[in-house]
Amino acid sequence: MQQLKLPIALIIAVILQWTLRNVAEPFAYIDFPLIIVVYAALHRDSVKAIFSGTFAGLAVDALSGGLMGATGFSKTFVAYAVSELARRVYLDNLLLRIPVIAGACVIDDLLYYGLHRLLGQEPSAEFFVTIAYTLIGTTIAGTIIYLLMEYFLAERTRPKRRDAFATRRQTRRRNPIRLGK
Amino acid sequence: MTPWLVIVLLLGNFILMAFDARDINTGQRIIRVWSQTAADFVQSPVTTASSSFSGYFGSIATLRSAQTENDVLKQRIQELELEVKGNEELTSENQRLKSLLGLKETSKYKVLPARIIGRDPSVWFDSSIINRGSLDGVNLNMPVVTDGGLVGRITAVSPLTAQVDLITLDKSGVAGVIGEISTSNVLGVIKGTSKKDLLEMRYVSGSVEVQPGQTIYTTGQDGIFPPGLKVGEIVEVKSGSATVPHQIFVRPSARIDSMQEVGILMYEPPARDEFEQKLPNAITKEKVR
Repeated sequence: MQQLKLPIALIIAVILQWTLRNVAEPFAYIDFPLIIVVYAALHRDSVKAIFSGTFAGLAVDALSGGLMGATGFSKTFVAYAVSELARRVYLDNLLLRIPVIAGACVIDDLLYYGLHRLLGQEPSAEFFVTIAYTLIGTTIAGTIIYLLMEYFLAERTRPKRRDAFATRRQTRRRNPIRLGK
Repeated sequence: MTPWLVIVLLLGNFILMAFDARDINTGQRIIRVWSQTAADFVQSPVTTASSSFSGYFGSIATLRSAQTENDVLKQRIQELELEVKGNEELTSENQRLKSLLGLKETSKYKVLPARIIGRDPSVWFDSSIINRGSLDGVNLNMPVVTDGGLVGRITAVSPLTAQVDLITLDKSGVAGVIGEISTSNVLGVIKGTSKKDLLEMRYVSGSVEVQPGQTIYTTGQDGIFPPGLKVGEIVEVKSGSATVPHQIFVRPSARIDSMQEVGILMYEPPARDEFEQKLPNAITKEKVR
């Protein structure tokens, strides 16, 4: 079951990305698959993170007007970069993860935009405005999602407080009747 | 092992991209077609649920103003009834005149109604997914319209869904004419500006007089859109000169930002060779001799 949690979270993220823009336009500025890919990468499982990046990217590209493989490329790169960073630097604190998701978001957008420009396909959105809004939206949503994921996904793996310490040895009480002798 | 895996995956994605970029306008990749089909099973129920959800809360919000609106509408109905009577007279007169001229009013193209079930998941692009596909007879490059005017064209088709690229996209282009095609020869190309409410008409000679408020129609010379479709109205003109073309900004007549339902014109453009032969400057066999 533990193995299935990440793929399920990734599938939900892709479905949200496919559908939420139809509900309200501002949801387009939240990159749900990127949040999950970075989460996987932060857990130092490079292979899982890289495959998550490729899968999520291709799923988004399939319904997008952009080039097929562009999101796959950018998310795979971001997954690898973050997992390498997580191996070298301590990033288990939520506060340290906020700049990581923000940086990942900027790199992802720059790569996506750059690849389209490289292949002669000008994206239709405005460059700075889109990057700024995506950065804000994804960072805020990412922080909230990480809090929830840590609570729900990591709760069972965390040892309970009672189990974390060795049982205290009970000192045998002396018999007060004998003491009185 | 991981760096090699990354290199292989990145290379795979890049090859896919390069392949897709080679033929972006008619690129029908199998992975895209089947992903769209699979996504339809998710998108359609979500769209229906979300629209009914927002509709429910919207109706509660508008309930307060219903009484005032009701009174206004009653008055409007009376006005419209009078107007309809006037129109009936005009229609019958029109029919009589047409029959005198021997004209036949026929619908040129069959229109297939469709609903927008999804939007582009990437914020960088703005295509739409509609709930009609190749099983309904939809083909690539078919024009998409609303009652207001031209919206875009079909750029990918799966069995159940199709992808529509809007005319507001940078890469889109429509051959247009200012005014009615039979009365005007001010031709140009209408391009997207990445803004939903603005198009740009290019290559219009600076020596021609152009005014804001004039209407732009398609000419059919692009070999995609049929002639006579309304594109929009001119909102701003930056005048050119004899050697510099005008810079013309156009507001699309279709409400692109809030459309929910569209129509697909089942229009097949004439074959390119045949089409080019009809042009005034075509090189025909007689001319070669």
